Amino acid sequence: MAAMSLLQRASVSALTVLSGRGAGSRLGAGSFLTRTFPKAVAPVRHSGNHGKRLFVIKPSSFYDSRFLRLLRFYILLTGIPVVIGITLVNIFIGEAELAEIPEGYIPEHWEYYKHPISRWIARTFFDCPEKNYEKTLAVLQIESEKADLRIKELEVRRLMRSRGDGPWFQYPTLEKEFIDYSPKATPDN
Amino acid sequence: MPDSWDKDVYPEPPPRTPAPSPQTSLPNPLTYFMKAFDLLVDRPVTLVREFIEQQHAKNRTYYYHRQYRRVPDITECKEGDVLCIFEAEMQWKRDYRVDQEIVNIIQERLKACQQREGESAKQNCAKELDQFTQVAKAYHDRYYDLGAYYSARKCLAKQKQRMLEERRAAKQAAAA
Repeated sequence: MAAMSLLQRASVSALTVLSGRGAGSRLGAGSFLTRTFPKAVAPVRHSGNHGKRLFVIKPSSFYDSRFLRLLRFYILLTGIPVVIGITLVNIFIGEAELAEIPEGYIPEHWEYYKHPISRWIARTFFDCPEKNYEKTLAVLQIESEKADLRIKELEVRRLMRSRGDGPWFQYPTLEKEFIDYSPKATPDN
Repeated sequence: MPDSWDKDVYPEPPPRTPAPSPQTSLPNPLTYFMKAFDLLVDRPVTLVREFIEQQHAKNRTYYYHRQYRRVPDITECKEGDVLCIFEAEMQWKRDYRVDQEIVNIIQERLKACQQREGESAKQNCAKELDQFTQVAKAYHDRYYDLGAYYSARKCLAKQKQRMLEERRAAKQAAAA
């Protein structure tokens, strides 16, 4: 850039020299000694490293940098307290050590976890796996009893319908004394 | 910190560092580097670790491994007894996980042996290799190809098929 400005200045001065010579030859005794220079040439200080200050035209990076700034902000807003909390828990409370189960002692369900935060979560929010196991067993037993009873009911229905000696499938019918046989009592009706 | 592995299972090869025999009278720069490491890295880290251990010693908690009681197997359950079958299935699943971990441990022993011996692994790792082939064959016979909906009943059926095949092979061997 500095070289270009130098070239520009050199070309400008060469042009003035040529035009001055031409004008001088036309006007009068024009020679190298009477050459004129243009008046407005800004002195450029050659600063070696940076060069000339330029206005670089590029697309806007405002939206991208805003997105990244907001992303970092919202991640760190809860990220930093969480990391500090976990660090303090690890330093001051510490993980549990493995031990044999003492005689006659039944540990609580959270005492099977190592990290203090896992223990807290298991203690506060989660049910013990024994409860889940027993619930599953209860559901299975109820469903199996239901299935057994349904099969038995079908069998009972079949037998009572076929044999007719049970309380089901008894339909009320007329008493035989109330039937009037008089319309068909004689063969001529 | 003390070693957490069994020295008999994973033996370390004997170290071969030679006794120092300096050829020059100039001091060894390695000692200075080791001292610098000791001062700048080892000691601060040890101090921090000791501070943390002191804090941990104030409230010491313990955790245990789950102990499950043995319940009757799938072979000892009557046919409509869903509770017995459920407990047997859960026990079988836990035993399946244990068997997977056993295979992993035997594999790790073989890998450690190969890494330790290096070039002479084919010669010196015969015991670990034999152990691994036995364990892998047993695992394959029992658990392989049960499908995605594996269960203790299907494993039992596979065992029945295996025993029938053995009986047939024994009969043919006796006939031949």
